[in-house]
Amino acid sequence: MTIDQNDVEPIAKGKRIRWGELAVIWLVLTVITVVGSLTIIPRLMPRAASNSMHLTILTVVVFSIAAAPVGSFVYAVAAYGLRHWHGGSGDEPPADGPPLRGNNPITVVWLVTSTFLCVFLLVWGLAALSADDAAASRSSMTVDVTGQQWLWTFHYPGTSITTESLYLPINRTVTFDVTSLDVVHGFWILPMGIKIDANPGVTTTVTVTPNKLGTFDVRCSELCGLYHAYMTAQVHVVTPGQYRAWLAGNHQA
Amino acid sequence: MTITSPPAQTPTTGHSRGPAGGLMRRLNIITGLIGGVVGGLVVYLLLHLVLSSQSNFFSDQVTTFTFVGWDIGFLAGMGAFNGPINFLLGRDLSHDDHLYLAGKDQGASRYWKYCTDHKVVGIQYLIMTMIVLFAGGALAMLIRLQLAAPNGAIFNPQVYNSLIGMHGILMVAGLIVAVTGPFGNFIMPIMLGARDMAFPRLNALSLWLFVAAAVPLLAVFAIGGISNGWSTYAPLSIQDHIGMDAFSVGVITFILSTTVSGVNIVATFISMRTKGMTYDRLPIFPWGVMFSSAIGLFAMPFFMVGLILLLSDRVFGTSFFLAFGGGNNWLWANLFWLMGHPEVYVILLPGVGAILEIATVFARKPLFGHKVVIGGMAGIAGLSIIVWAHHMFTTGWAPSLNGPFMLTTELISIPTGVIILSLIGTLWRGNIWMRLPMVWVFGVIWNFIIGGITGIYLSDVPVDNQMHGTMFVVAHFHYVLVGSVMFGALAALTFWFPKITGRYLDEKIGRIAFWLVFLGVQITFLSMFAAGLAGMPRRVTAYSKALASSNGISTLGAFVIMAGMLVELYLVVACWIKGKPAGPNPWHSKTLEWQVPTPVPLENFTVMPVVTSDPYGYGEPAEPAPVVVKEGAEL
Repeated sequence: MTIDQNDVEPIAKGKRIRWGELAVIWLVLTVITVVGSLTIIPRLMPRAASNSMHLTILTVVVFSIAAAPVGSFVYAVAAYGLRHWHGGSGDEPPADGPPLRGNNPITVVWLVTSTFLCVFLLVWGLAALSADDAAASRSSMTVDVTGQQWLWTFHYPGTSITTESLYLPINRTVTFDVTSLDVVHGFWILPMGIKIDANPGVTTTVTVTPNKLGTFDVRCSELCGLYHAYMTAQVHVVTPGQYRAWLAGNHQA
Repeated sequence: MTITSPPAQTPTTGHSRGPAGGLMRRLNIITGLIGGVVGGLVVYLLLHLVLSSQSNFFSDQVTTFTFVGWDIGFLAGMGAFNGPINFLLGRDLSHDDHLYLAGKDQGASRYWKYCTDHKVVGIQYLIMTMIVLFAGGALAMLIRLQLAAPNGAIFNPQVYNSLIGMHGILMVAGLIVAVTGPFGNFIMPIMLGARDMAFPRLNALSLWLFVAAAVPLLAVFAIGGISNGWSTYAPLSIQDHIGMDAFSVGVITFILSTTVSGVNIVATFISMRTKGMTYDRLPIFPWGVMFSSAIGLFAMPFFMVGLILLLSDRVFGTSFFLAFGGGNNWLWANLFWLMGHPEVYVILLPGVGAILEIATVFARKPLFGHKVVIGGMAGIAGLSIIVWAHHMFTTGWAPSLNGPFMLTTELISIPTGVIILSLIGTLWRGNIWMRLPMVWVFGVIWNFIIGGITGIYLSDVPVDNQMHGTMFVVAHFHYVLVGSVMFGALAALTFWFPKITGRYLDEKIGRIAFWLVFLGVQITFLSMFAAGLAGMPRRVTAYSKALASSNGISTLGAFVIMAGMLVELYLVVACWIKGKPAGPNPWHSKTLEWQVPTPVPLENFTVMPVVTSDPYGYGEPAEPAPVVVKEGAEL
């Protein structure tokens, strides 16, 4: 018994690609995505209260713009295919398409392009990381942060101040030494774009420079049990004068 | 070499037992359930007699070992130990026994037994997977109900945390087996030109371990739930109630199942290919399944080891993860994510293989860059084991490794991009037959781009410092797991349904299900991206009023998804019973599983096929014929 190939349709003639149409779909999708990234993303994200958060918002926008042509290209080919390569949905399959088993130049172009994008992402990320490290080395102030179910406490070293809401002077780099008394918590100042886990038995650090006056939310970002959702605190970013007054008013020598 | 068949007609010769007798022939799921309950009860009572109920660890010890007793009793009752016991007694199974185990002439009752036929196991997996995924889906609806309003007071926090943890583990377990279980078992051996898997009894074992695992996992709710996500971070999970013990035993059992099945699949892939089925002629679906199983063999045991240590902390009072006893919770995080990230690709790769397989058949074109895709899958498999700590950027574990893990994570976009290239390259200038499986494939193209690109933001450490633990992450991985893998599994189900059942899935109802699920996914998870960008944490029972509208929309979308899934369930059941009959090769595919009759005979091939080319010769001259089944080929 031989399963022969009599049921194979005659070889289909190659169809011409309407490059112009494909390019227009691609371009339109890319423009929509880029405009959307520039307008929608910054509106959805919190107003930045630190340079770290500024950079985070910028990164999300820039990565969206960098990804726009790639994603749009795939969508453009799919959309173009649905329009021009549609072979019906009947009971019998359409004739076979052209036997393209691959295309080395295109594969190489694809690989090189994705490698370049990858290198761009990496360089961008490493630059941001080293900026964070540089900021950390400028830090001139430390606050001890302790998480426990389901409460944050903040201690200002060198003073007697232990409080449940943070006071920070604007434009001064602060390092948080974070630990936990029981389970893992996550110390997250929402509009400042910093987050570090509070782990029992060890101390982790995170650095930030608040650059906006106001009151912001501290949240727990690791599920820590029943009242995780309510494990919040407030951080008040104040002028240096107000901060000194607050320190003097609360410190008992 | 010619092997003559044993004299099956005279089964009484050569062994001491009669052909129809033997305990083995009386076992089925009923005896399994009885065995499991008895096993659990015996352990439960014994421990009450032996252990001191004054001990702090008493209830954890009882719970843990009761479920271990269930596992062992259930497997014994199913007949999992018959082979080894017979071997120890010096009795080999007879040819007749083997045919019995393969379910010969037993009709529908073989689906309730310890059956070694890979096709039966595939269908059993399909049913089990659907049960587990629907259970997980029902929990998702409850989660979305709670989140429909900012202070949704439907569930108390303990119940809610159980919902999210169990939703996570059920969905992950269900998706790990969603493609590999049904189609890796039913279809892949036929694609290779094999008569069964390399280890048929291990195949049955993996299925029934999966069934055994489902019981403690579903029992978690009955004994108080877990107060944790599915990542069960220590030490919160050590603080937890006895539900955590059942959870651990269930997951350990499940990992035993995936490991047994992984060994079997890799061995089958390597050693069971028919004559001429060289690696470069092998279709892409078995490659996806094999890479997935191979990664699983590496990854899943980390979680098992972690859970054993965790149980030890809970049950015996050790302190692997407890700081006050010299332990460290980062150890748990590492063990968990050493499983957790490769596991994403364990889930993804079989789906990718199925999608590419479907794309070539319905574009009527060869697979674009067959070897490049295999290389891409290998690249993903290799990189997947060195990216785990990108889940730990914000744990503070090793800040100096953040850069390197950002690098490996971003590198994985290159082999993933190769797969996308192959997919659109296969569609390029094709004649796309827009039948139902292809509709799902277009859904995957849309979702996978969104899921993939949003993953790139999270690989960037400063962005992750903001996004980690937010709904943005949740939306991202749901675009991958639901939008890509679940869609891929449904594409695979639609594609192979005629081979499994001899019937088509109805195109019209199928399209209704597709559009409901597709639109539901966009509504739910696009709006969840917005909530995440605004800073909504995941795993919370309440949230700021400012997030009310995005959460309300997500809840609405989630119910649209569920409606679509129920239509899909109706479709599968209705068409299985009385769908339009399909011939043996309704899609005019060239892979081997479509060249055998439907229903597939017990040993798949009456004569072994000899393969002379790959199955992608669409549009190429008729010779060489892709498949020649030679008369009188050696068995």
